[in-house]
Amino acid sequence: MNVGVFIGQVLSRDTFNSKALADYAANLPSVALVRQIGYRPRLDPALLAQELRSHALDRIVLAGDSPGFFKPAFTRALALAGKDPEEVRLASLREHGVESVDEGLRAKAIVACAVKGVPFPLVAASKSSLVNPATLVIGGGVAGIQASLEIADAGKKVYLVERSATIGGHMAMFDKTFPTLDCAACILTPKMVSVGSHEMIELWTYSEVKEVRGTPGAYRVKVLRRARSVDVDACVACNNCSAVCPVSVWSEFDSALSYRKAMYIPFPQAVPNAYVVDRENCIYVQSEGKRCGACLKKCPKDCIDFNQQDTVEEIEVGNIILATGYELFDARRVERYGYGKLPNVLTSLEFERMTNASGPTGGKIVLKTKKLNKRTKVEEWVADPQGPAPKSVAIIHCVGSRDSNYNPYCSRVCCMYSLKFAHLVREKLPEAMCYEFYIDMRAFGKGYEEFMERIKAEGTNVVRGRTAQVSESNGQMLIKGEDILRDRIIEIPVDLVILAVGVIPSRGMADLAKMLQLPRDSDGWFSELNYNGEPTHTERGSIFVAGMCQGPKDIPDTVAQASAVAAGVLRSISSGHGMEDLSKLPLSEIEARAADWEAGLPELMRYADGNSSSTQAD
Amino acid sequence: MAIRVQPKLIDELVLYGAEDVQNCYHCGNCSAVCPHTDAVFNFPRKPMRHLQMGLEERLQSSLEPWLCYYCGQCSTQCPRGAEPGETMMSLRRWLTARYDFTGIASLFYRSWKAEVLAIGIVALLTAIGFFTFGFLQGDIHTYDGPDAFLPSSSVHIFDWAMAWVLFALLMMNVIRMWWFTTASRENLRVPVWSYLKHLYLLPLHFFTQKRYGLCEHKGPWRLHLVLVLSYVTMLVLIMFFLHQMQSGPSIVWPAHGFGYLASIGLLITVIYALRGRFKKTQVHMKHSHESDWIFIVMLLLVTVTGIVQHVLHRTGADLPANVAYVAHMMFVVPMLVLEVPFSKWSHLAYRPMAMYLGEVHRDALRHAETVSKEKTMQPVS
Ligand SMILES: Cc1cc2nc3c(=O)[nH]c(=O)nc-3n(C[C@H](O)[C@H](O)[C@H](O)COP(=O)(O)OP(=O)(O)OC[C@H]3O[C@@H](n4cnc5c(N)ncnc54)[C@H](O)[C@@H]3O)c2cc1C
Ligand code: SF4
Ligand code: SF4
Repeated sequence: MNVGVFIGQVLSRDTFNSKALADYAANLPSVALVRQIGYRPRLDPALLAQELRSHALDRIVLAGDSPGFFKPAFTRALALAGKDPEEVRLASLREHGVESVDEGLRAKAIVACAVKGVPFPLVAASKSSLVNPATLVIGGGVAGIQASLEIADAGKKVYLVERSATIGGHMAMFDKTFPTLDCAACILTPKMVSVGSHEMIELWTYSEVKEVRGTPGAYRVKVLRRARSVDVDACVACNNCSAVCPVSVWSEFDSALSYRKAMYIPFPQAVPNAYVVDRENCIYVQSEGKRCGACLKKCPKDCIDFNQQDTVEEIEVGNIILATGYELFDARRVERYGYGKLPNVLTSLEFERMTNASGPTGGKIVLKTKKLNKRTKVEEWVADPQGPAPKSVAIIHCVGSRDSNYNPYCSRVCCMYSLKFAHLVREKLPEAMCYEFYIDMRAFGKGYEEFMERIKAEGTNVVRGRTAQVSESNGQMLIKGEDILRDRIIEIPVDLVILAVGVIPSRGMADLAKMLQLPRDSDGWFSELNYNGEPTHTERGSIFVAGMCQGPKDIPDTVAQASAVAAGVLRSISSGHGMEDLSKLPLSEIEARAADWEAGLPELMRYADGNSSSTQAD
Repeated sequence: MAIRVQPKLIDELVLYGAEDVQNCYHCGNCSAVCPHTDAVFNFPRKPMRHLQMGLEERLQSSLEPWLCYYCGQCSTQCPRGAEPGETMMSLRRWLTARYDFTGIASLFYRSWKAEVLAIGIVALLTAIGFFTFGFLQGDIHTYDGPDAFLPSSSVHIFDWAMAWVLFALLMMNVIRMWWFTTASRENLRVPVWSYLKHLYLLPLHFFTQKRYGLCEHKGPWRLHLVLVLSYVTMLVLIMFFLHQMQSGPSIVWPAHGFGYLASIGLLITVIYALRGRFKKTQVHMKHSHESDWIFIVMLLLVTVTGIVQHVLHRTGADLPANVAYVAHMMFVVPMLVLEVPFSKWSHLAYRPMAMYLGEVHRDALRHAETVSKEKTMQPVS
């Protein structure tokens, strides 16, 4: 078989040496032609067909970042040249980690497999090592919770390490979830409670992973357990301590729409259901015990201990699941929308808290009003439950997403949560006008399209066109954009603007990736081993990904992926071995394995055709 | 009416400098930030769409590209790097080629080599012509007076002849522009009074480029104004005061004073433009088509040779001054003959024309609206 290798530009790595790759490919036995086609080639199938014929090529290998982009021209060319049009093989360099592992060797390995027509991730993966039955889950959002429960329910030990003082992640902040408008807490709280009480789950909140050593199947992990200053097991969450705490700072959980104390619990249903001291803001801690200490006297259980120190615990686990989720893109960066300057421009998470029945306004949608902070003597914009209701609301999609100036990718959840917001606005303020400005409506899941139709029918004005600017005018905000379907430039005054802000990898993911030597994709999310085939595995053996940290996704997809991860971990535990690191394999080993695969292929292919019976009949 | 689609149009536009049109996903941000967009002329998004769909006739009949002054706000904010501003620029190049009935403009825009070659040939012919004429009737050692190598009276005749030819060529293109954008459009019925009513817009926009001033940053407009006024001053001096200009060696301040001002204006703007394009200081200077470079370099050469020949003449070096004069003409003539009707410079006619026709279109649309309203009201009464 004569193979032609076409190498496109590799953008994910500026230092990429495509010449070295070309030389390597040219030396592979069956390769008859190697050509670099550069960035954005203009490919004419007829000319390509001539080229294929003149070199008598039977198979084409396209190497580069997302080379599938060029595949159609080559498929057509093969057909024109009278060859099997199926023989286009993709050597997807970025997708298989060239970006973050030793680019030269990895690229060669990928091309070597493609030339032989065998799938790289399958060739390179799988070889066993012994496995420790305990599992570490990093991140206690819905992904981490789901995975932990699945594994623990199967009777295996789980360490769940969560950075904040409670598990629950973002989902705990929501009132309703799209598209069913189910109550988020009704789904999540029971799961959180079972995590808290599960005998097989060791829940370490307020903790972070600091070091991971060892090999797949036998990782040694150091976890920093930050001093919470409250005994988690003894605390009964009676609130006596918090009631007397004189400090007041913005609440993170309420997206800074309300205040909390220095002695606080993030929200009433937090798991563990125990208070925590914000040591940076605590007067007692900051004054080294000289002042305040009011809470100490009030605790009926004596569980406050300001002398508690951070500790480091060392554990050994076989598998690690990453479920570190996401955070919101910083909407201040899009200055044209005025977030941070105009008080009634809210981010989506702020609005989530505002509409939440247990949130700072008791679920009322209000405009922020100016109030004097009695202690600091400065005027602040606050969401007062008695504040005026907006008469018109605008929701702006794709803030920071799908924009080459910020994040090129689609954040995937904001279209749908925006529709959810529109519904909540119409439901709570039937008199108010509600506008939604979108570029493309991504209603991709089961029931989502119907959800969108329902929202439209409820009377929300859904306008196609990105908002170019939000400016202030006469105490209102002026939305300027093009209404594309009605072919006009529009300027609409509204009272409240909600930005459907995109998602970005959570803080600290870069450090974690470095610690684990784990590749991340160009957008910063953890790279899965193979997007289609191994969406929960990573380059590193026995390290898995679940939820948003692998890429934007909604709750159903997050939960599904978390369960899938649990299946992988359980399989590994019950079979007794884990998986080897991909990046440790030498090129010669991959070449040898690819040759074995190739030798085994014809039989597989016959199987795949479904034509084996007719062959036998001959 | 059936709409004809030309799928290769976008590839064709690449030759005129359009690059990333296909990136556009039609969010409308660009149109919304554009200070020139309004209910009737909505751009740049719509032309982007027309281009993606290959609606050749639609684009050929559109005035929008000429209403864009390329402040670049659209390109800066475009979330897809689709460069709407540059697309409008390339559409202007393409329209220039479309308006030109000779096909020369299209050749120049597609191949800078052809343009440079043409400039070379015209320059050579100019040199041969001027030298032959000079040696036949004068003395190369004299710059002015009865024995002058290139007497102003003869050059004057040549000037005027050239001016008329250029004017005629440009007018033909302008008429084609009118035909494409206005007259040939069946759905656009223009009342005659409207043509008369707005005539004053032609000189107004020619001299002031008033709409350019609507852009957020006023700098480029001011600079362009300096450039235009310098050109116009030079044109008036040459067409009407050539005799005074060429007399000497003493300086005739009433004529030369203006000449100096205009030269300074040209020099400043041309240096600014060159620097800007090299360093890509502003959005509209980030992408330079070959034709832009040719234009600026020619302008620089014209200005510099003009200054040199003037200095030589004033210092009494008549022989070098005469040679410099011919050299100056070697750049001036191709610049005028080729750039005015066939390239970038033609926008001096198309832009004011577009402002004028724009108002005419508005009238036509308003007129059509009232007519249809009257019609719908009749059955009621
Ligand atoms: C405004 C908004 C509304 C939404 N509405 C809906 C909806 O209605 N329906 C729906 O299906 N989806 C919705 N989503 C999407 C939904 O939030 C996500 O799909 C889901 O929360 C992802 O869960 P996760 O566990 O992967 O991440 P997260 O919820 O972000 O959880 C990650 C957890 O990991 C912890 N963590 C992070 N880094 C570390 C670290 N280094 N060490 C230890 N712990 C760490 C965090 O503290 C957090 O608790 C919405 C999203 C937004 C922004
Ligand atoms: S999900 Fe919708 S709003 Fe969010 S980035 Fe994608 S297209 Fe934009
Ligand atoms: S801003 Fe860019 S993507 Fe949006 S419509 Fe204009 S050219 Fe297209």
